[in-house]
Amino acid sequence: MSSFILRRLLAVIPTFFVVSLTVFLLIHLVPGDPIDSLMRAGSSPALREQMAAKYGLDRSLFEQYIIWMGKVLTLDFGTSIIQGRPVAALIAQNLPSSLTLGGTAFLFSSLAGIAAGVLAAKYYGTRIDSSITSGILLGSTIPSFWLALLLILVFAVWLGWVPVSGARGWSSLVLPVIATGLGGVALVARVTKVSMIEIGRQDFVTLLRAKGVSESRIRLQHILRHALVPVISILGLRIGWILGGAITVEVVFARPGLGSLLIRALNQRDYPLVQGCLLMLSMAVILGTIIGDIAHAAMDPRQREASK
Amino acid sequence: MNRRELLISSSILAIASTSLFSNVAIAAASPSEATIVLSSDENGAPHLDPIRATLLSVTAGLIYDRLIAMSNDHTFHPHLAESWDESEDGLNWTFVLKKNVRFHDGELFNADTVVWWISKFEGSANQHVSSAIDRVVVVDEHNVRFEMKRPDPNLLYNLASYFMGIPSPKAYEAAAGNFGVIEAVGTGPYKLESFAVGQETVLVANEEYAWGSELSENKGVPEIKRLVLREIQDSSATFLEMDTGGADILMGVPTEFVPRLALNADVELRNMPATGVSYLQFNTSSAPFSDRLVRQAIAHAVDQEPILKAVFSGSGATAHQFLVSSLEESKVQPEFLIRKDTEKAKQLLDQAGWLLGSDGIRTKNGQPLKVRLWSASETAYKRMAEIVQAQLKPVGVIAEVALFDSASLRDALRKGDHQLVISHYDWDNADILDWCFSAKNIPHPNSSRWDNPRSEKLREDAMSGARNWRERVAKYKEYHENLLENFVFVPLHEFEKTVAVNRSRLAIPERIRETTVGSATLLDTRWQ
Repeated sequence: MSSFILRRLLAVIPTFFVVSLTVFLLIHLVPGDPIDSLMRAGSSPALREQMAAKYGLDRSLFEQYIIWMGKVLTLDFGTSIIQGRPVAALIAQNLPSSLTLGGTAFLFSSLAGIAAGVLAAKYYGTRIDSSITSGILLGSTIPSFWLALLLILVFAVWLGWVPVSGARGWSSLVLPVIATGLGGVALVARVTKVSMIEIGRQDFVTLLRAKGVSESRIRLQHILRHALVPVISILGLRIGWILGGAITVEVVFARPGLGSLLIRALNQRDYPLVQGCLLMLSMAVILGTIIGDIAHAAMDPRQREASK
Repeated sequence: MNRRELLISSSILAIASTSLFSNVAIAAASPSEATIVLSSDENGAPHLDPIRATLLSVTAGLIYDRLIAMSNDHTFHPHLAESWDESEDGLNWTFVLKKNVRFHDGELFNADTVVWWISKFEGSANQHVSSAIDRVVVVDEHNVRFEMKRPDPNLLYNLASYFMGIPSPKAYEAAAGNFGVIEAVGTGPYKLESFAVGQETVLVANEEYAWGSELSENKGVPEIKRLVLREIQDSSATFLEMDTGGADILMGVPTEFVPRLALNADVELRNMPATGVSYLQFNTSSAPFSDRLVRQAIAHAVDQEPILKAVFSGSGATAHQFLVSSLEESKVQPEFLIRKDTEKAKQLLDQAGWLLGSDGIRTKNGQPLKVRLWSASETAYKRMAEIVQAQLKPVGVIAEVALFDSASLRDALRKGDHQLVISHYDWDNADILDWCFSAKNIPHPNSSRWDNPRSEKLREDAMSGARNWRERVAKYKEYHENLLENFVFVPLHEFEKTVAVNRSRLAIPERIRETTVGSATLLDTRWQ
């Protein structure tokens, strides 16, 4: 098992460099310049050049990348050009909000997804199944920022149950969690349903029924347990999305978090901050996937063997 | 857990959560706290240090007082300076400071504060505001004299801007470069409680306050004890917050939602004096707009009226010159004003050699008059571009619209491939002419690439040849007229910010004397 984990972790190193290069080039090749956001009527052209030199923007792209990478390897993500504060501090300040939203949404999509999948499998082929399946499919195909606006309209404007936006108290977390997590619910529910049906057709289930074990016990204790293996690996893939999945939702609900931070930085072309945020988000996806793999391997020895 | 237990427990959970949320909704409406949503152009201010800042919101105006207050008719009034005196040659300014003014940290405000404060601008992003000041001399504890390197008739305007809010020297030095991030100490009517960049700033009333400016009736402690200033990036969410009573004041209603909010009986809409102008920018350095006749023809082909009605629902005014109309420099001779005259536009194009073809498109030397019309992708700009495109067609000009996000647009303008661009500025001082059209500022912000010896001479004279405000106005007016007669731009619309107030909760003064809802207005604001 430990060699499996080690191999997985070593594979991260080349991925990290490719990701960092992509992130760096992505933002630098997009037209725009952070210094423009710092200039206001009356500032002199000399000040502009001085600022560009201060942040190293007058150097070649290659030099800028090497300098940035050198610092990142010592865990220094640089200083935000617009905000004038260390990128690491800004990320640390916004991380808890993103983790709360992403974590809750993850929990919501796991629990609601599994529950919906179990129900759909139990009533397979009936109206209940088709309404769950189509309802979830509809929810997962609507883009989350639009879904967010619809939810605001219904629950905040018409019903007045929750606030429209902001991050004050638990009530303001409900709609963002649903908007972020619904896509995950659909995915988890579909996998759970298919897997439940497949396992339900196996011989040991027939044997359990023959022994007279109650139907609900067979479903929840035996079938679900086996059916969860593919569900866990799907969930593993989604761990990484805890941070990155809520970017647009954070903006719509005016919540603090990495998403709001990233979008603002992108609009202002705040290179160090965009690079820091994107690197952080992509590493979260990569590490999340590895955690998922490890969890999967821990549950299923065949997986460990296959990767040798 | 069997099915029955599951059903019972989930029902309890559902009922509990519903009642919890409704309790929260009621609790949020505490009467001591007003929620203000900042205007989108003031979102994202990274800190509250006026000396280093390049972007500040109304928040800074509430924390820091300034020496001078400027009213919406561009007259200057005493604030922390009780009175002032300017010498004949414009080289000496004496300010008499208000007594017994204290910072939020208890420190006294006096002449020494002013000396320290002016010195801090050296080398900062706002260096230009004090660049004409040679030194500040303490006459006595409440009298200071600014000795100038050269006359600066714009000094009072600068002193009244947010960037010249006065911070506490003690707190500023103690924070060592971090001032305005966690701590912001001024003499203003509100004290900082918390600040989260891009999210919200919480301010509490300064209970010692007794030195309000001339622009407010109430010179003492504000009635609204706590202000939550929120920043919301999404315009739909901003509108919904106001429409559902989640916000008490919206500092800038997104243009597209003005008609919708007007239907809400609880919402009072107030138009602030114009602070910006949208205009059509030419690239004057390349054909066809290097030809003054073609520029003039386009200027006469454009009709400002449909833009006012269709894009801004009648809010604001049509613009026929470059500056906001409350500025004296905008009062140019009537013959310079740019107005629609389709027939003249056609004649001018004929005269310039662009002749109408059978397909309705003008050509010259076999080249059709097809131009690129660029704009930012926000709704208002996009719609202005579409209207201009439709208006150019009847005179035989085909405009191809392309949309950009604002940072990409700026970058594209720097490269110089543009021909026509829908542009906008927000600034209520005539020096915007220098910013937008000075040859020194090519390629950006002078992306019109206007470089003309006569204009440059007039500009330099306006910038540094005036000894006092009156002379400055006259010189800027002349420069402005020069740009108008060269048709360097086509003014489109004078933008007025609309402020929304929840009138069931707050009463703002009938007459607002500031350029925007700021500290003087909030000092006079009362609970209903």
